[in-house]
Amino acid sequence: MFQPKPMSKLLIVASKQQLEPVITELYRMNIFHIDDFVEKGDDQWEGFKIGMPLKGADTISSSLVKIRSIASAFGIGSDQLDDVAKAKVQALKQSIERDLPAIADEVEGLLSQRSKLETSIKEYEQKIEALRPFTDAPFPMELLTGYDSISCIAGTVKSKPAIDLPHEIWEKTQKTGLFIAVAVRNEDLAAVERSLLDLQLQKVTIPAETGSAPALIADYEQKIAGIHKEIEQISAKMAEIREKHQYFLMSSEELLSADVEQAEAPLRFATTDLAFAVVGWVPTEQVPKVYETLDRVCAGKVYTTELEIEDYNDGPPVEYNNPDFSHPTELFMDIYSRPKYTEVDPTLLMSIVYPIMFGLILGDVGYGLILLAMSFGLRSLVKGSEAGVQLMNILRNCSISSIIFGVIFSEFFGFSLPWGPLWFSRHIPIGATAEGAHHASAIPQLLVVSIWIGILHITLGRIWGALNASRMEHGHHKSLKMYANIGWILVMWGIIVLIWSKFPIILMPDLTKMPEITGGLNIATVAGAIMLVLGLAFIARENALDLMEVPTIISHVLSYTRLIAVGLSSVAIALVTNFIAIGLIISPQLENLTPVGIVLILVGVVVFLFGHALNTALGILGGGLHPLRLHYVEFFTKFYRGGGKKYNPFGMIRKLTEQN
Amino acid sequence: MAAEAVAVEVAAATASAAGLKAVGAGLAVGLAGVGSGLGEMGIGAAAMGAVAENKDMFGLALLFTVLPETIVIFGLVVALLLMFQ
Repeated sequence: MFQPKPMSKLLIVASKQQLEPVITELYRMNIFHIDDFVEKGDDQWEGFKIGMPLKGADTISSSLVKIRSIASAFGIGSDQLDDVAKAKVQALKQSIERDLPAIADEVEGLLSQRSKLETSIKEYEQKIEALRPFTDAPFPMELLTGYDSISCIAGTVKSKPAIDLPHEIWEKTQKTGLFIAVAVRNEDLAAVERSLLDLQLQKVTIPAETGSAPALIADYEQKIAGIHKEIEQISAKMAEIREKHQYFLMSSEELLSADVEQAEAPLRFATTDLAFAVVGWVPTEQVPKVYETLDRVCAGKVYTTELEIEDYNDGPPVEYNNPDFSHPTELFMDIYSRPKYTEVDPTLLMSIVYPIMFGLILGDVGYGLILLAMSFGLRSLVKGSEAGVQLMNILRNCSISSIIFGVIFSEFFGFSLPWGPLWFSRHIPIGATAEGAHHASAIPQLLVVSIWIGILHITLGRIWGALNASRMEHGHHKSLKMYANIGWILVMWGIIVLIWSKFPIILMPDLTKMPEITGGLNIATVAGAIMLVLGLAFIARENALDLMEVPTIISHVLSYTRLIAVGLSSVAIALVTNFIAIGLIISPQLENLTPVGIVLILVGVVVFLFGHALNTALGILGGGLHPLRLHYVEFFTKFYRGGGKKYNPFGMIRKLTEQN
Repeated sequence: MAAEAVAVEVAAATASAAGLKAVGAGLAVGLAGVGSGLGEMGIGAAAMGAVAENKDMFGLALLFTVLPETIVIFGLVVALLLMFQ
């Protein structure tokens, strides 16, 4: 809890004969996080070199490349398959050898045929485009080319040209301007061209075709249609192949990826001519299992030992160690940054506080139920994506909290539940809605509650900051950092006590009545001032520039008022929607029903649905992002460092193939 | 007559005080919103660019983007206090 899984550093050494069994076994166990060996030339690893891949790695990789290219041509992925029997490895290997080349050839053939056809479609389209300006020409295309003494120019000009040399011209106004085709003697060509260029001639190449342009275009279009049919046939054939071989392709992809990873594992090992060594991390509780299994597989011909960890800050990979209900929140931690091995892992706290904050913002039974339904309904959309499932679980937890707070606040789509608010009321008197009038709203009280949450949250953040400093820093710097964190707490509480001693605030201790010492200063004022000064001194000892940040104490604490402020805005939208839809549109019509009234009632229903749909969307955004921000900005900045390495064990979870 | 006139005047004064409160609340939220928007404008554009380059930046980018938004929350709180205190 609040700590990642403890890790142990293992060194495995054996002769090269044991290389393959060790790799296979480590891969099967899927718990060993390999520290890649890098040739640094230090004394410790003198004489060791990066290993060579196992035999057969290149042929496996080439088959894998083939399979992946087919899979990408088909657009299939392993997550599209589920609830299938796992393939037997031996049979699969045989069919890879037997069937894969044929399938690959067939698919390649079809793909190249398709791309050829697509190219010819493009060519025909280009020809049609070139012929398009000549559609209305009264002459066949062959009359424009193929003369010895006459040349033709075609193109668009700005206005009608006046050519004083012998010529023949055809013109036609088109969208782009005046299109002309001019035939002139070869010796006049240069002069005519110059005069046309003055009219901003945009020349087009005259297509060397025979026949009239419309007939040619029709002919080409027919050809394109024919090719489209052929492409359709090819696509149908590909779909057939895809349907038939999808499972085979995906399971062999999995098998071969595993094989390639194993075959290339020695690239991460340190080897000599006769032996190899590998360093890696294993969760401490699993260490005996590694010893035992490797010993068994290699018949005792392997040396495994636990190494001392020299620098905890830059070493062990981090695997979360949280109760099940906190797992979804790990997504938010990873978005920010995975914690370092030695620091406090706030996931558990966040998994509790985050839904509470969400509920405080969107405390409404109706919206909560919609979100709960969404969190289950959208699950099929995110199938196969771990982050998506985590997000849905977070949404589920948050919606439950939303329902609970909805019951407490007595809210159902902005209406009041049969009972009054069990806690402070959020009902606001808006317009003439009766709901608001029932219970006096307690908004200042709620704002103070949110400030309390902020004070406690930030204080905890600073305590953890001191804890992290004690674990992660060394020597003089360690105590400076710890005292600085205590200093921040002292400054914050000093300011709070000072305020309490001067102003009585609801739901907070009233220290204004404390015995006075001198000149209007009571004990609390003096105590607060002492805390403030002491705290400032502690902060300044670590870094005097940090004093500039002191005002953020107030802004960070007040920032927590968003929990109530954003929540009230969603309450207000709900109330206003209800007031407009029911109070202004539907109710007056119901009193005196007319045909027009029924239409208006329908309009009212639409307004009602639209308003609440909008409010639900805003609720997810507001309720989701604001607590996240409070954690990331106000809470994490007090203690969290992050930057831990992800624990990524050597191995894979097989979905489609059996473990061999 | 005089008493009625005074009553009307008092009522008008109360109403205009409430109206001014509402105007103040609106200004508090609106102006704070404009400020936040201006702040987030540049940060958001830069954050998008950073995330497009490197997806790992998402968390940090989100953090920076929402920083100025505290201002509008303060505006909202002030408005709420004005309206319901």
